[in-house]
Amino acid sequence: MTTNDIINPANLVYDQPKILNDVPMHYCPGCSHGVVHKLIAEIIEEMDMQDKTIGIAPVGCSVFAYKYLDIDWQQASHGRAPAVATGIKRLLPDRLVFTYQGDGDLAAIGTAETIHTANRGENITIIFINNGIYGMTGGQMAPTTLNGMKSSTSPNGRTVPLNGHPLDITKLLAQLDGTCYVTRQSVHTVATVRKAKKAIRKAFENSMSNKGTSVVEIVSTCNSGWKLSPSQSNDWMVENMFPAYPLGDLKDI
Amino acid sequence: MNDSKKQHNEEVRLMKGNEAIAHAAIRCGCDGYFGYPITPQSEIMETLMELEPWNTTGMVVLQAESEIASINMVYGAAGCGKKSMTSSSSPGVSLMQEGISYLAGAELPCVIVNVMRGGPGLGTIQPSQADYFQTVKGGGHGDYKMITLAPASVQEMADHTVLAFDLAFKYRTPTMVLADGVIGQMMEKVILPPYQPRMTEEQIIEICPWATLGKTANRKPNYITSLALLSEDMEKLNMRLQTRYREIEKNEVLYEEFSCQDANYLIVAFGTCARVCQKTVEMARADGIKVGLLRPITLFPFPTKAIGEYGRQTKGILTVEMNAGQMVEDVRLAVNGAVKVEFYGRMGGIVPSADEVLEVLKSKVIISTFE
Repeated sequence: MTTNDIINPANLVYDQPKILNDVPMHYCPGCSHGVVHKLIAEIIEEMDMQDKTIGIAPVGCSVFAYKYLDIDWQQASHGRAPAVATGIKRLLPDRLVFTYQGDGDLAAIGTAETIHTANRGENITIIFINNGIYGMTGGQMAPTTLNGMKSSTSPNGRTVPLNGHPLDITKLLAQLDGTCYVTRQSVHTVATVRKAKKAIRKAFENSMSNKGTSVVEIVSTCNSGWKLSPSQSNDWMVENMFPAYPLGDLKDI
Repeated sequence: MNDSKKQHNEEVRLMKGNEAIAHAAIRCGCDGYFGYPITPQSEIMETLMELEPWNTTGMVVLQAESEIASINMVYGAAGCGKKSMTSSSSPGVSLMQEGISYLAGAELPCVIVNVMRGGPGLGTIQPSQADYFQTVKGGGHGDYKMITLAPASVQEMADHTVLAFDLAFKYRTPTMVLADGVIGQMMEKVILPPYQPRMTEEQIIEICPWATLGKTANRKPNYITSLALLSEDMEKLNMRLQTRYREIEKNEVLYEEFSCQDANYLIVAFGTCARVCQKTVEMARADGIKVGLLRPITLFPFPTKAIGEYGRQTKGILTVEMNAGQMVEDVRLAVNGAVKVEFYGRMGGIVPSADEVLEVLKSKVIISTFE
């Protein structure tokens, strides 16, 4: 097979989704955001929902998500994305509305909005990027930071007497009657990327068939914040994050 | 048929100011109300829930988990070009300030009602005007202004709800109806506004091309944000906002004059205080004192020019408020030292009486000008 054969569109087996804008991403090499963005773009395209989708970007690294996905976006204040999504979905019930939030946004400052939105069973999808750290502000401790894990505000490692316990908010959300689908995925291998895509697709379909709130947590890496190489980060995540945040469906009704 | 419909629309009703807001919101084609209970304005959401407008006009009414959630639900709905509103009272409006700043920064139209109660802190549930600074001077972070309407009657609670939406959409800015506990709770007769249909999506696309309704093939994606990474871009947004505020100052000033034509003295008061001071003017005139009342209806834009002119024409001005002296600063700026401006205020939920104001007028304003 020659190079010309390979770049011949007829032989393409893998392409960039049209909804993913062809611009350089600001995310660090190795960061999980890029993969999750691409999955969302693929799914919206496959579901043919570009003209019916409104995404809500949080405060955090993904505040610039609007630059990468060619759909309508609203940027919410820190933690309030689920409330913003509620306002949109209640007035536009035939649209696909999803929030894209980090752990600080969703599980610290926005805990009330997250829980009450899920408890009302708003027909939205919450994509929850859990990397156990505040990435954008420079690696501070998050509600999901593991015990012993170092961050710029827990330089000697998180301790329970000082900081309390890591918050497994996804487990909590699975207890609520308003959620229909709560799952925890990752995107560090080809197999997990495929599973994560299926999960997000299912969540989006739930949102369109008014089944309630769907939550897809993606256990993610923040190699810059963790001060590890991308590959070391993946290993560290498997070894340390997965025992605390085990992958799989927590609820599927 | 048309005549009977018209008659129905102009039917005189007796209701509370808060109830009038709820009725007016439904009638003017509001798409969504999001709120959280707090005295003395809970009747707004209670009335909406009782009227169930989702069965008639399709308006959504939702009780949120907090004022923070309410204002952010308003943000989401407003970002879709929908006529959305919330209401609260002072402590709740404090919680909304971040959201209001975001709404201003993202240039989103919406209506916020504040039925003020005494503060600071949890304060009292009695009426107050102590949120003037918070409303007119910013409240949230950053350089922004909110068009602020100050109703002084149940009729104006209804009328200002309609007007607030019109101004909010005209200037793409959050607009505040700043009432107080008296206006919210008292019952008066009111003629409710006529029914207007809610905007269709086609109308929204035409009027609000920026609205996030889903990216269609014929346009670029819309995004609602108040973020600019480059300070040059942020300054541009600020300049655009400031230009708009100057336009608002030029076009939208509203005030009412009462017995001002031959006045030697002027009282400036808004909302409930203006109702009290109207009585003071009548009493003073019975005593042979030529005093008039100027009632600012818009607090931003402030009737600076009109008050400035009275500053040159009168011998003394008294500003009366239910706070420690807030609007009086704007009155003093308006007259710019041309005449002495005195202040009288009651705080913590107390409404001044017409007698009290008359006494202050005589002892502080009239005596001082004879000296």
